[in-house]
Amino acid sequence: MASDLLSIARSGAQAARIGLDVTAQNIANASSEGYIRRSAKMQEVASTGGAYRIGDLSLSGVRLDSITRNADAFRQAEVRRTGSDVARGTAEAAGLSNIESAIEQSGVYDAIVGFESSLQQLTQDPVDTSLRASVIEKARTMVGTFQIAAQEMNAAGEGLQFLASDGVTQVNRIASELARTNTRLSRASDASSDKTALLDQRDKLLQQLSEFGNIGATFAVDGTVAVKLGGTTGLDLVTGGTAVAVGMTTAANGTLSFDVGGSAVTLSGGSLAGQQLALGKLAQLKVDVDGLAEDIVDVFNAAQLTGDDLDGNPGANIFSGTTAATMTLAVSDVRKLATAPLNDAIGSRDASNLTAIRNAISTLNPADGMDQILFDVSGTLAGRNVTLGALQTIAGTAQVALSAQSGVDLDAEAVNLIRYQQAFQASGKVMQVASTIFDTLLGIG
Amino acid sequence: MSTIYGTSTSAFYERSLMDLTALRKQAEETQAEMSSGQRLQRSSDDPVAASRLRQLARAQTVDQIDGAAADRATSDLTLTDGALTQFANFVTRLQELATQAASSTISDSQRKGIGQEVTQIRENLVALANTRDGAGRALFGGEGSGAAYSLNGAGVAQYDGTLLPGTVSLGDGQTVARGVTGPEFLEFTSGGLPRDLLAVAKDLADALQSGTGGASAANAALNVLKDGLESITTAQTVVGSRLNWIDLNTERRISLSELRTSEQAEVGGNDLTESIARLQNTMLVLEASQASFSKLANLSLFDQIR
Repeated sequence: MASDLLSIARSGAQAARIGLDVTAQNIANASSEGYIRRSAKMQEVASTGGAYRIGDLSLSGVRLDSITRNADAFRQAEVRRTGSDVARGTAEAAGLSNIESAIEQSGVYDAIVGFESSLQQLTQDPVDTSLRASVIEKARTMVGTFQIAAQEMNAAGEGLQFLASDGVTQVNRIASELARTNTRLSRASDASSDKTALLDQRDKLLQQLSEFGNIGATFAVDGTVAVKLGGTTGLDLVTGGTAVAVGMTTAANGTLSFDVGGSAVTLSGGSLAGQQLALGKLAQLKVDVDGLAEDIVDVFNAAQLTGDDLDGNPGANIFSGTTAATMTLAVSDVRKLATAPLNDAIGSRDASNLTAIRNAISTLNPADGMDQILFDVSGTLAGRNVTLGALQTIAGTAQVALSAQSGVDLDAEAVNLIRYQQAFQASGKVMQVASTIFDTLLGIG
Repeated sequence: MSTIYGTSTSAFYERSLMDLTALRKQAEETQAEMSSGQRLQRSSDDPVAASRLRQLARAQTVDQIDGAAADRATSDLTLTDGALTQFANFVTRLQELATQAASSTISDSQRKGIGQEVTQIRENLVALANTRDGAGRALFGGEGSGAAYSLNGAGVAQYDGTLLPGTVSLGDGQTVARGVTGPEFLEFTSGGLPRDLLAVAKDLADALQSGTGGASAANAALNVLKDGLESITTAQTVVGSRLNWIDLNTERRISLSELRTSEQAEVGGNDLTESIARLQNTMLVLEASQASFSKLANLSLFDQIR
């Protein structure tokens, strides 16, 4: 079969049009999230001659071979992995920051110091009712701040649990969307724009999923993906067109555990892991603060017992409760502070039991205990912030590296635009030449 | 920030955004430090320094209480000192009266008159022994809450307070006795016998008023009164040295407090000069970044194609 100049030119013009379309599409999507630069791959259409006609020239122009997505699977995996780490770090740091505020802003430390110093002040004159009232009021303040701290910590914990529960909902939504995308991918024909769009969607969903938990992804030839939650050695989340439901269980102390289809899974990345870590720290801090509150209650009440109050009665319990939330002031009568030794004269200024109370409190050293709790949470947070900073830099670099490779460079597209425009014009010229040749042939007769 | 060649447009914007955000955040942190005067906005900014600051603030609170305690002890001891001076004055007057009464040139009726004055002085002594301190407690009653002395049916003064005076903490484990108890200076030894000034005065008054043997009783009382005066001046010396001890502790407390304040400023304070320089530096870099960003962002090939 001989060549047809006009049809070659037509295919050339068509290819140039496709090139222009792809370029325009790239320019239009320069800032679309998850859009990966397309490039049109052209291929020559030519055939060798048939039997006995080996020398024949048989050129038929050009055709579109495929639309290539310039995606680098490695860089995408890096973005997912580092993004997962950053999401974990961010969620944990945010949670810890709330917890730190809950404990620090409640002013427990200052209240404990105030209580201690009011006891010390009372030594100046143990029977002075205004000094005694100051002790009772400082005790009330301390109890109040412990309660506030407990409430704020609970609120911080509830916030984290809410975020985690929403995260699980998102994971399930994304997993089912991925399963649907997988189904459609397995049906889409190769190199169709439908398929490239589906692949974009798949990668975008994977990246979103990695924000919530660390995932392991295995890609099949047809573009479908099998996803494991909890890294490459985790549990199957999406296989082909099916997604397994992820669940979350909240323990009595507020800590979280996750499962995929009922089997427990350990997450090492993603916001869910961060919230899990922060809640674990919160549970430990709650135990610490509750323990401190209980110790103060026990030590103070025990020391009260060894003395007489202002009316000569044995000291009664001043505090009650076993946790920061339940700690209360059982007595608000200023005469009930047992500052005098047992069986001393009524109204005695002898401060030996006050000294015993102060010794017991100073052995317990609640201010130091609170300082350690504050140091624990702020030290942890400071460490996490440093780690987070490093993770963000790494993730930012990975993100930039990916978008540098797969994103749209407007300058390059400007060049492509001119290139395809010129190709289109050149094909038009070929058509004109073909027409002229045809006219010339007609003119012979 | 790493540099990546062959970048895409969105990568360029993303990277610029990251750099500019980081610079802006840095500038805002410096600004917050300057406006609050504190280097630490929250504990996690520097956990070790925050913990140190908490300890310093705690010591400062305790220190204020110690200061108040020292003031209170000082006022109690000063009151004690004043009362002791009055005691001494009364005893001196008793000595004068006893000297007069011991003279053989005066009559028994004159001695009776002197005896009445001695009775008056003795009543004053009892009242003085029941002096109250600034908080309304018995100054010489130790840790008891009632009056220090009371008179029994026979008119004999008896001590109702505790053996020891209360102590006041001056901080860092140092204490000071807040005063002296009545028996500490009113009871003394004279001529190998234990004596009580209030009883001595009563006995003298009774002897002078009884009419007989007043001269010899007054003569005997002279020596005892001399020892009583000595006991009072000794107590005054003790009170004075306690006041000195408080001053010493106050000085120590103040110098420690100054150290604490300077450490507080060092650990948690903010060096304004340094912060301003740092902010200026950050702002300069930020401005340069913004300028270069806007120049680069305008650099599009599309502008060149006509």
